[in-house]
Parts: sequence; structure tokens; C-alpha cells
Amino acid sequence: MVNPALILDLVEHTSRLLLGQTVTVSLGGTDQEQNGELVAGWCARTGNELVELRDGVAMVRRGRRPDPFADLAPDQLPGTRLWIYTNFDCNLACDYCCVRSSPQTARRALGADRVRQLATEAVEAGVSELILTGGEPFLLPDLDDLVASCTTALPTTLLTNAMLFRGRRLDMLRRMDRERLTLQVSLDSATPELHDRHRGTGSWQRAVTGVRTAQAEGFRVRVAATLEPDRIIDLAPFRSFLDDLGIDREDQVIRALAHRGAADSGLELTMESLIPEVTITADGVYWHPVSAEDDDQLVTRTLFPLRDAIEETRRLFILHRTRADAAAQWFPCA
Amino acid sequence: MNKPLIIGSVAYTPAVITIWEGIREYFSDSAIDMDFVLFSNYGRQVDALLAGHVDIAWNTNLAWVRTVLQTDGQCRALAQRDTDTVFQTLFVARAGSALTGLESVRGRRLALGSQDSAQAAILPVHYLREAGLGEGDVELLRINTDVGKHGDTGRSELDALRAVMDDKADAAALGINTWEAIGRDELMPGAFEVFWQSPTYSHCNFTALPTLSDERAQPWVDHLLAMDFDNPAHRPILEMEGLRQWVLPQLDGYASLFEAVKEQGVSPRW
Repeated sequence: MVNPALILDLVEHTSRLLLGQTVTVSLGGTDQEQNGELVAGWCARTGNELVELRDGVAMVRRGRRPDPFADLAPDQLPGTRLWIYTNFDCNLACDYCCVRSSPQTARRALGADRVRQLATEAVEAGVSELILTGGEPFLLPDLDDLVASCTTALPTTLLTNAMLFRGRRLDMLRRMDRERLTLQVSLDSATPELHDRHRGTGSWQRAVTGVRTAQAEGFRVRVAATLEPDRIIDLAPFRSFLDDLGIDREDQVIRALAHRGAADSGLELTMESLIPEVTITADGVYWHPVSAEDDDQLVTRTLFPLRDAIEETRRLFILHRTRADAAAQWFPCA
Repeated sequence: MNKPLIIGSVAYTPAVITIWEGIREYFSDSAIDMDFVLFSNYGRQVDALLAGHVDIAWNTNLAWVRTVLQTDGQCRALAQRDTDTVFQTLFVARAGSALTGLESVRGRRLALGSQDSAQAAILPVHYLREAGLGEGDVELLRINTDVGKHGDTGRSELDALRAVMDDKADAAALGINTWEAIGRDELMPGAFEVFWQSPTYSHCNFTALPTLSDERAQPWVDHLLAMDFDNPAHRPILEMEGLRQWVLPQLDGYASLFEAVKEQGVSPRW
């Protein structure tokens, strides 16, 4: 027998709430399953939301939860872009690398088969862009095949330091699809000093040369700079340099350094404060490319089916947003 | 710049703030400047209307009757919810109680809501009298848990139902909105059943004094009536306020309450 008092309590308690606030009610000592169904039925009927049933208690929100994705731009929706870490090893050892890539870093490669499967499943899961990153992807001997499986499926961006466009690797670059592939080159400053301080002597000049090589080969090139937060001011000289280098303004990406990986300072980024970008590595699915080897931002160790990994990321995003909203209600500014 | 129209409303739940901020925002897109003032009870609100501190009061049916009585009928109703035109009082008992109509309450215990609730106290007594049941024929259990708010919180009606569950009463009188809120008899079959329901009557309305000119009132009413349930921007406010459409008032629907107030000697003030 269900407990009618439960519904009377619910009506009374929810009537005192603002829209979006929650209340908990005890399901009573007996027939908890039946009473849980009663609460669910009442919520469905009255336009309220059953948040959870746990340990004999029902949590009910007044009204429906607002769409947690409503405030996001279309390209920010988790699962719109798919990041793929192809290897992790790198020819550089940047002192702020978020995943500690370097020549000493062991290769952790996804491999051509898994990348191909990811690209195929990405299309089915509604992903609209693939983004490949390393370490340095051009260290992979089969990168051209791997990129081809991506560009065949979706528009693709390949992150590189652009320092290895010679010989066999230049030949690989030339075999890539110029219509479907954008190269994103790391370049931090208009002059060598700052860039080389973090990335190694001579790296700035080789990167600039690499940008010019890629442009000459007919590729669209985007430049991404990583700056310490207090340096993101007075960017006009840098932008002017990039303009002269032939980089469109929309392809000039300047972002703050994250305190992750090898970086000893930078923005603190947590799952609560970071909109997820579904990121696949050989080790698992991560919340965001800046945290692609950090257990605190591991979503799941299971890569496939990709749709489930994306769905789990979305579920966690909703959970974090809900908790943040609840915290905001509990801690008003006054 | 015109003086804003000030609307009075009683804050019987925190959601009232959200509702009126939403309505004010809706009006901000029009040429009509309006604001609102919240009161803790209907007595204070009606006093403020009569004193000219607010231009329009969002009144319950009892607050409307009391305003009419205090203004010798000079006040007017501007609009109400579609749900206000078909309000009902229900008599509810435990399922299987064998109560079948008002006459069957004779000699039984009836739980009523707060004394100033038209739907759960004043009108139920009126209906009993119409059915020939006077004082002493029914044992009334009065539950005055939200006096001043004219039963708006619904709390006294929920307490009346609890009294039935706890066998402190054989039946309870409540408004149809509370019956709907608990899912009628469909969510908990075998718990409660309605054994009598009243004719429909009118509930809340926007009340104004003759000092508010048509030139100021009519554009506000016109814009209010233009709120659209199918418009996603308007719908949340309408849902929270419990209506699909604002409508012009049906004054015939207050006749039973005027009679009840007169026969029960309910004070015209507070």
C-alpha cells in the first residue's frame, strides 16, 4: 500500500520552493519501491522533476531542470568535436606541456585501426570535427594513413609543431587532403625569445619555416599560442606578425596556459569549471585535451562504442552543472 | 514619463517573486510601465488598494468580496485566469467511506481549511446550509494553518486531508487545485475519493478602484490578455501562476460567496 501522506508532504514542501530548488522527502520504512514509483508518477504529472531516489529518500526539484546545454554555443556542445591523442611522444620538451610530452616520453599510440574506428563511429555519433594531436603526430610513420581515415570521415585538424616537414615526413604531408585538413601550428610569439624559452632554442624559427612550408603546399594553417595568463595583453604586435605570416584572424588562436602536466603555473582547470571536449587517448576517454593524462579528469577507460563515451561525458557535465547550480543556491553572495 | 502602474500581490510562496518578475519583464517589452508590491496577507493588500498605494490588487475571491463591500460596489474586476472562472470545492473522504453527498455528512466530522479560505471553509459551510445542514448537524474540524492568505498556500487543505488519513475527520473540503495537485484519485487509487463537488464559481481577479482610469487600465489589461501559452517566453510564468489564458472576469461566479459571507457574518475587513 502506498503512503498518501508522502504526496501531501511533497505538495506542501514543493509549494514553498522557488523554481529549480530541490527538496527531499523520506519514502518511509516499507514499500519504498512502490512509494518511489508514486513520487515519480506525481512528478511526471505535476511538471516537477524526480532528481534521484536513494537510500529511502526522494529528491524532487520544483519544475523542470533547465536545459544544461542551453547556454553553450553550438560548437561547445560536448561531442561536437572529438580530440584524438595519436601518440604522446614528441621531438620537443616544452616546459608547460599539459601532457608532459617529450623525446623521453614513451609512445602511447592509438594506432591506425582504432583511429579509423573512432572516425567511423564519430560520424554516427554526430561529431562534426576531428582534432588530432600528439605529442608530435609527425613522429608516427603511418600518419598519412591515419589522417586519411579521419579526413575521409570528417573535417579534421592536425596539431603539429611544424618542425619536421622534411624528407619522408614532407612526403606524408603532401599526401594529405588539403580540402579536409587544417594544420594547427604551435607558435607563441612574434619573436623567438618567448617561444624558444619554453620550447627550446631554434624552435621558433623552425616553426615559422614550417608554417610557410605548409602554406606553400596549399594547406590552411591555424596558429595556436599558449601564453601565461598575465601575458594575454597587448597582443597587437603578435597579431600583426601573424597577419603578415598570412594567418587569417579567425585562425589565430591565443589561449591561456593551463596549470596541468609539466606547467608549474597557469589557470586551474577542473571538470566543474571546464566545458568538456571529448578526448580520446590510448589510455581512455578524458574530459578535455588539457587533462588527457590526469586521473581526476578521466571519464572512462572504455573507448568504444564512442557514442557511449560521449554520452557519459554529457552525463557528467549535467551532473557538475547541477551541483554547481545547487551550490550557488546554497551559497548566495550575501 | 507616465507613472508606473503598481500591482499588489500576496507572497504566499517564494515563487510569487519569480512570477511577478516574469510578468514585469513581459510588460517591459510594451509601452506600459508597471511594477509590483508584495504583501504578507490579503488584508494588508486590500487596505493598500483602498489607500491608493497600489493601483491594481491581485485578489482572491474573498478579497474581492471584501473590497466590494468596503467600496459599496464601486471597485471593478479587470481580468482573471481561465482557471478562476471554473473553480470548485470538493468534498473528499477515504475511498470506500460510503459517503455519497452532502446529506451523508450529517453527524460526521468534516475537516475545513483556514477560516478565510473561500474554497475550503466559507463556501463548504454555505453548501452544507443550502443542503439543510446547519450548526450542530456536522462536526466541523477547522484547521487554520494559513490564515491571512485565504487558503492560497493550500497547506490547510493538505492538513485537512491528513486529518482524514489520521481518522480525525471523516471528510475534508478542499479546492479543486489542491485535488489536482495530489493527482486527483488517479495517483493513489484507493486512498481518497470525491463524494460531492460544488458548482463552478469564480476565484481570483485583478481588482481596481474607480480612481484608476480606463486610459491607464485598458492597455494593461489588453497586454495581459495577450500573454500566449504557446510562446516559450510566456509559458513558464503562466504555468507557475496556474493558467493557460488570462480572461475577462465572470462576476456572476462570485454570487455564492457574497451569499456565504452575508449568512456567516464574515467581516468585510480582514
